Amino acid sequence: MMRALASEDLYRVEKKDLFASGHRACGGCGQALAARLVADAAGENTIACLATGCLEIFSTPYPDPTWRIPFVHSLFENVAAVASGVEAAYRILKKGPVNIIAMAGDGGTADIGLQSLSGMLERGHNALYVCYDNEAYMNTGVQRSSFTPLGARTTTTPTGNTTRKKNLPQIAADHGIPYVATATPDDFRDLQRKVKTALAVEGPKYLHILAPCPLGWGHPGELTIQMCRLAKDTGLFPIFEIIGGQVTNVRKIPVKLPVEEYLKVQARFRHLFPKSGPAPEVAEIQEIANLNIERFNL
Amino acid sequence: MDKLPLGLVQDLYQVVPYKTGSWRTMMPVNLMQIPPCTHSCPIHNDIRGFLRVLAEKQDYEEAWHILTRTNPLPATCGRVCPHPCEGGCNRRDFDYPLAINCAERAVGDFGLEKHLEHRKLIAKRKERVAVVGSGPAGLSCAFHLAKRGFQVKIFEAKSEPGGMMRYGIPAYRLPKEVMNREIEAILRLGIELECNAKVGVNIPMDQLTQFYDAVFLGLGAQLGVPINVPGQDASNVYTGVDFLAAVNRGKPVEVGKDVVVIGGGNTAMDSARVAKRLGANVCVVYRRTRVEMPAITAEIDEALEERIMFRYHTNPVKILTEGGRVVGLWCVQMELKEPDASGRARPVPIPGSESVIPADTVIMATGQAVDYDGIELQKIDNQWISANDLQMTSLHKVFAGGDAVTGLETVSMAIGQGMRAAGAIEDFIEGHVESRMAPPPVIYSKDLNMYYYHKGKRFQKEALPVHLRLKGFSEIYPAFDPQEIAREAERCFSCGLCFNCGNCYMYCPDNAVKPSVAGSTYEFDADFCKGCGLCAKECPCHYIQMTLEK
Amino acid sequence: MLKQLEGSQAVAEVVAMCRPQVISAYPITPQTHIVEELAKLVGEGRLEAEYINVESEFSAASVVLGASAAGARAYTASTSQGLLLMTEVLYCIAGMRLPIVLTCANRAISAPLNIWNDHQDSMTVRDAGWIQLHAEDNQEAADLHMQAFKIAEQTSLPVMVCMDGFILTHAFEPVDLPEQKQVDDFLPPFNPPNALDPRAPKGIGLYADPRFYMETRYILHRALEKSKSTIQQVSAGFARDFGRDSGGLIKTYKLEGADLAIVTMGSVVGSVKDLIDRLEEEGKRVGLLQICSYRPFPRQEVYKALKEHTNIVVLEKSISLGRGGILGSDVRWSFPRAEKKGRLISSYVAGLGGRNISLEDLRAMVARVEKEPVELEFLGLRKEIIAERDL
Repeated sequence: MMRALASEDLYRVEKKDLFASGHRACGGCGQALAARLVADAAGENTIACLATGCLEIFSTPYPDPTWRIPFVHSLFENVAAVASGVEAAYRILKKGPVNIIAMAGDGGTADIGLQSLSGMLERGHNALYVCYDNEAYMNTGVQRSSFTPLGARTTTTPTGNTTRKKNLPQIAADHGIPYVATATPDDFRDLQRKVKTALAVEGPKYLHILAPCPLGWGHPGELTIQMCRLAKDTGLFPIFEIIGGQVTNVRKIPVKLPVEEYLKVQARFRHLFPKSGPAPEVAEIQEIANLNIERFNL
Repeated sequence: MDKLPLGLVQDLYQVVPYKTGSWRTMMPVNLMQIPPCTHSCPIHNDIRGFLRVLAEKQDYEEAWHILTRTNPLPATCGRVCPHPCEGGCNRRDFDYPLAINCAERAVGDFGLEKHLEHRKLIAKRKERVAVVGSGPAGLSCAFHLAKRGFQVKIFEAKSEPGGMMRYGIPAYRLPKEVMNREIEAILRLGIELECNAKVGVNIPMDQLTQFYDAVFLGLGAQLGVPINVPGQDASNVYTGVDFLAAVNRGKPVEVGKDVVVIGGGNTAMDSARVAKRLGANVCVVYRRTRVEMPAITAEIDEALEERIMFRYHTNPVKILTEGGRVVGLWCVQMELKEPDASGRARPVPIPGSESVIPADTVIMATGQAVDYDGIELQKIDNQWISANDLQMTSLHKVFAGGDAVTGLETVSMAIGQGMRAAGAIEDFIEGHVESRMAPPPVIYSKDLNMYYYHKGKRFQKEALPVHLRLKGFSEIYPAFDPQEIAREAERCFSCGLCFNCGNCYMYCPDNAVKPSVAGSTYEFDADFCKGCGLCAKECPCHYIQMTLEK
Repeated sequence: MLKQLEGSQAVAEVVAMCRPQVISAYPITPQTHIVEELAKLVGEGRLEAEYINVESEFSAASVVLGASAAGARAYTASTSQGLLLMTEVLYCIAGMRLPIVLTCANRAISAPLNIWNDHQDSMTVRDAGWIQLHAEDNQEAADLHMQAFKIAEQTSLPVMVCMDGFILTHAFEPVDLPEQKQVDDFLPPFNPPNALDPRAPKGIGLYADPRFYMETRYILHRALEKSKSTIQQVSAGFARDFGRDSGGLIKTYKLEGADLAIVTMGSVVGSVKDLIDRLEEEGKRVGLLQICSYRPFPRQEVYKALKEHTNIVVLEKSISLGRGGILGSDVRWSFPRAEKKGRLISSYVAGLGGRNISLEDLRAMVARVEKEPVELEFLGLRKEIIAERDL
């Protein structure tokens, strides 16, 4: 069931700084930016449930946390369950309506937290789960996660990751939940529209946000927005919604770019470009992009 | 439990934010920079500024005031300026340059229509300045001085003000009404105008330098210089200047059936097109090709549209006369050899290629010179007034500008020189030592973040159909739709000036970019800015730049 | 009203009367009958609560964590492996000072897999910052849940009610169930001051660096120490309101003047009391000290009760492998180091993995410690099946 939202509300850009200044993220942090966009889109009547991770560490230090909406944090792998509990409490206490948003990084979502996420989605809690995907365990020093893309160098894949990224939006959608979407913080209007759309839908929702990490990806902080665009325009990070199981609102790539343009900017892929010419992984990464382009008709 | 448990719970309204600004090594700043349009404009008009108010609020009045801060003749320039600004426009690297010239005309026309008045910056002061010549240079200098409170008197040799704008430019390009009203608005700043007063002849120069605190010479180059060919004394041989002046004065000029115009400059184009409007078949004879013609490209195009013949590689040898009247022009074909000193290909006659072009009138638009009658000062090549970059001549307290200094140039160049001279005169009178700052750097398209701009069509002005144009001297470009001009203004990149896109505000991961108190732009919060540079990178117009922290 | 009920059902009935608002659990033997009964009560509309079926004990604990942080009275139950899977969350719940009540249907821990009773599971999380109350019988198990919610909400500490798996959970005994009104009078509605609320936003569960962390742990420790008086007050209040004793820190049986003091907790208390009565008939003076509140550990009360005793044996269903009896250590530690007086404290580990503790076993224990103190002994150990090569 979807609450009707006027389109001017849906497309209005929100800037309320409910995720305020003073957090300890690195300069140019994509996750900090995305978190603020999410919080502001959700608005004051929101409870954030945080998984342990970069976002939580840099935004909840005692005594000066950065959030201006109530938040609860307990552990790394349980945020979806905590959100389930908060939602259940609000339901039984009749304190709502309130927006409940669980937030975690890719490790807390796709690896250690996948079980509790699956539980939350399967049980049908009225909560939004936001995954800030920075493609590795950044908080602990850039170790590989199941979202680490092929070829990427991390401290635990020093010669480059050999596996492909887990397709979590599809896994989430296969729970039969009403709304799944992907977004990037460069297109804040789209991102905030998706947060608002998701929150207007009754039931569990999953929003997957690419959050470039200057430290882990090895790009200058000033290029964070550009990294989002390159990820989209190469086809490596498709932007779409899955509503009622149907892929829809796919963002068409205006001018398709070869994956090299994205890879070459980042230190984590630098080893793929020795003087002798690109490593075979580059072609394989291009193949992944091509598959996305074909699958989503990007 | 009234008190919050230590370390476990925090009241989020009581948080004293941790200041992350100390992490920073770089700091974003808003840097004043010059857009290439302004840089290319001889008057340094604030083009970005006036386009901005058109785009944002269609405020033609404010646009007029912005434009007339520098240029007192926007309606005029909007018609006759070859708009080097558009050549500089960074959009040229993206799609098409902005139609700045059309916007300027629309704004200028609005000012005329609404009888907008120039604003004086400083109340009257006692110093007096004499301006010699009321062409664009003189008017501009007088305008800028009068705005700054000086008592200005213009001495004009002819019976009416305007110089070449009045006597040189035909009405189909610049209706007299437009120019008259712009001049009137300038004079309403309290400028005294004395016509039929030729300095050096009616009034000695000494008298001016004695009675005035400074003198500006905007003499122009009003003397037509014929080429030396046999038959040039025939009664229906004119210089371009004289021909245009006669027509512009409203004198009946009989040109006959065939007119030959010699030359490839703007005066030649004007002469040819005027002659065409007088009913003649017109042929322009030029030694080189179209590429080398000094005339404004659009003028050549329009002349071609108006079915004026062009004979390139053609050089007059002599004018054939019968009974003291021209009957034809004896020409020889030229071929182009290695470039001469001017950089243009050197034309050399081809032996045996002579031919005759029938002509009832010959107009020689082959050069112009300054009338120095009674004025002695240092010159360059014995031709143009020698003036330094402050427009100072060799004579004490005498400044100069316009064609007499630059050689044949545009109205806007003359306005720019008049403006600069006014500034120099003010400094001179106030006894300021030269203290000009180096001009800010110019922004080029490589500095812009093109992601944020969208390709679009350029505004196209529509000319009258040729058959209507040739019926008389009515203006060939009818008025523009102000709405369309405002839409065109929206295409402006706003190079180097915040246009409130909000990228810095939305993209700062630290919320360290805040709307400024004035609300027109954004400020950086040094308490929280980590100096990541995202705002600068995503600023479309290069208004934000990163600087090293001290 | 006295009813013949299975222990699990009695506990479920009383928990329901405590009006928990969010219940979340994951099935594990022998806890299942409790949560099945609660699910039934919710399903039938007799209990207005959210019953959240989760995919693991980890999530069950996390759901009640979230619910409690959001201001709901929250309840869960588990045992054994489930409790161990919850461990990380249990520490977090206590650290966050969330007044959650958990029933631990005490059971042995793998490996080898074993579903029967001992106390190893709850012992394993004894340092998590939870209050741990041990029930002697089904009546006390039921009563302790009423007290548990009250203690938890007064102290902002989570409470674990431990009842022996199968021995209590699956045993039918007559239980005096209270009326709903009695429970409502005893237990006021839950109204936490720091719940998640967008109208007064607070952050719960922050990150504390070395400048703050140690203080939070010190405060938590002090809170547990202080909760002893709350436990006693609530127990006394319960006795006043319901007319029977249950809970509190310790209980004694024929302890004063006894030559031998047996210290133990849980359902074995019944057998020990039986033994004491029989030995009394035989002319032996043996007394009992029953630990009701294992955490906080009632050190002073234990000392006071036992300071005149020179022969003490601690009987427990748990072991710190490589060290010995856990409760035994706690009891030994209850006496000031300086006070020697030739006191003998023996330690017995018994009933692991559901091994029956027979009267004969207990008699043998008494006979043994009457002669000499025992460092550590496994009661009822079948030495005959252990080969030399196993050791």
